[in-house]
Amino acid sequence: MVENRPFLTFLTHLVLIAGVVIVVFPVYLAFIASTHGPGQFVSGLVPLLPGPHLVENYSTIWNEGLSSSGAPPIWVMMMNSLLMAVAIAVGKIAISLLSAYAIVYFKFPFRLLAFWIIFITLMLPVEVRIIPTFAVVANLGMLNSYQGLILPLIASATATFLFRQFFLTIPDELMEAARVDGAGPMKFFRDILLPLSRTNIAALFVILFIFGWVQYMWPLLVTSDSRYYTIVMGIKRLAASADSEPLWHLVMAAVILAMLPPVLVVIFMQRLFVKGLVETEK
Amino acid sequence: MATISLIDLMKSYGDIPAVKGVNLDVADGELIVLVGPSGCGKSTLLRMVAGLETVTSGSIEIGGRNVVKAEPAERDIAMVFQNYALYPHMTVRGNLEYGLKNRGTPREEINRRVREAADILEIGALLDRKPRQLSGGQRQRVAMGRAIVREPAAFLFDEPLSNLDAKLRVQMRVEIRKLQRRLKTTSLYVTHDQLEAMTLADRLVVMNSGLVEQIGTPTEVYDRPATLFVAGFIGSPPMNLIPVSSLSGNEVSAGLPSGTDIVGIRPDAFVLEQPAEPSLALEASVELLEPIGGESHLHVRLNSSGQSIVLSVPGRPEIAEVSDIVVHARLADLHPFSAQTGRRADNP
Repeated sequence: MVENRPFLTFLTHLVLIAGVVIVVFPVYLAFIASTHGPGQFVSGLVPLLPGPHLVENYSTIWNEGLSSSGAPPIWVMMMNSLLMAVAIAVGKIAISLLSAYAIVYFKFPFRLLAFWIIFITLMLPVEVRIIPTFAVVANLGMLNSYQGLILPLIASATATFLFRQFFLTIPDELMEAARVDGAGPMKFFRDILLPLSRTNIAALFVILFIFGWVQYMWPLLVTSDSRYYTIVMGIKRLAASADSEPLWHLVMAAVILAMLPPVLVVIFMQRLFVKGLVETEK
Repeated sequence: MATISLIDLMKSYGDIPAVKGVNLDVADGELIVLVGPSGCGKSTLLRMVAGLETVTSGSIEIGGRNVVKAEPAERDIAMVFQNYALYPHMTVRGNLEYGLKNRGTPREEINRRVREAADILEIGALLDRKPRQLSGGQRQRVAMGRAIVREPAAFLFDEPLSNLDAKLRVQMRVEIRKLQRRLKTTSLYVTHDQLEAMTLADRLVVMNSGLVEQIGTPTEVYDRPATLFVAGFIGSPPMNLIPVSSLSGNEVSAGLPSGTDIVGIRPDAFVLEQPAEPSLALEASVELLEPIGGESHLHVRLNSSGQSIVLSVPGRPEIAEVSDIVVHARLADLHPFSAQTGRRADNP
């Protein structure tokens, strides 16, 4: 369908630009709001151009936070979120790689059963098992701790399944050649399988990092100590002020900051991801 | 360098036997070709020698050492796979070195061997490329190189040429033969291509449904096929197998060993003029004449039984299609078989 019709080109661009505008406008509005003073945004007339308070607003929210909402400074919450998202992504990838490796390359009793049990957990999202999971975490004394935030979210059927499907596409001869070349199971995994999975790992890291970053309900449940608040649940807390107008200019500054890491991860990993796609060939 | 002995080697998958008791002695430096139709067990046999398949019963000795329980890496063999199985993320050099590094070969030794192999195979300029940047023939060379650098007791080839185009295949075939002669490494080579088998082998092992039909030099196998299967499998076009009953009008039964009920006649054993030696004559009608260059294939139907046979005659004979002719074959060129046993009737 490579046709040269100016009208079609115009139309497709129009649709694309309209789409981009619809997506970008609220983000733009949030940014604008974060550059104005306290009263500006609720005065009835929403400004569309940046105001003079950018540096002031951001440094306030970054260093001090909103003491009235009982939330710690943003940088604390950002660090918590970052730690949680990275640990979840890395943990998920490590565990999924190993379990997929076991399921595909080793013959053990009930191998298929093991695979199906993992696969079935796909049907149970976090929300469904949240009460029992909470009970377990609470009984283990992991409330208000990083372990409590991270561990229950690490097991991943999706990633295991993806790696399994990928490993199945790798020709058996490669494993056989490695065996003849004297590579044991761990050596084969490290020297052959891991480098070949690079692209998949990069792609999954992006997805899983964002998955970890946007977790809302779980951090809300297991943290009551503000030292362990994550940014996504923290924003909700910033906006909820009991008897005054929310300080939207500061909330929006927090929103913009919360958006940055996932965007950076996508931008940075996408390069690696595309590079891997172009380079790898089986 | 080593001998390889297979003793009563068997393999079954559940109840299904794949290899039904194979005995074979490979001499030091010999190139043995395992040939047979697909599913005959030749690849399974090779993979058992490599250690990639478990052995159901029997034993394998490489250099006098029983290796049935040994890991592939401990067997001192190197294997060339059909799809080359090069590590896609490593450079050619990385591919060549990998096995040596795993064995803890010293760096200078690795470098020396890689350089030597690269010289032999003329892939020195490709060492820093990745496999995907290579053509099929170059990948094939790298796969061979990976086997050579190991300096193993034996090479195992699993249909290494079947992914190449016809022209390259002939060229690589010659190179493999030269290389094997030069290195004098004991080799097992699996192929389904009987031409490849004939040209490469010191000795052929013809297999069919898990059993060895015949072991012998290519000329032995061609000149004296031991079974009906071998007669039909080796040679192109294949040998014509004609029941004795349809040789009516020929006084041949007296000259044939007892028990003969099928005679095999190679397409090129037929002549159109009656030879001086004792011969048989068959009346036939021409169905098709296929000129293929230096010779022609003549498809004829026997008048006595209606069986179609193929003759290969030199040059381009002037024979009209759908005409009646008489074809002759010397009695000495007949291969007598017994239909009952499927074997040669004149075997000592």
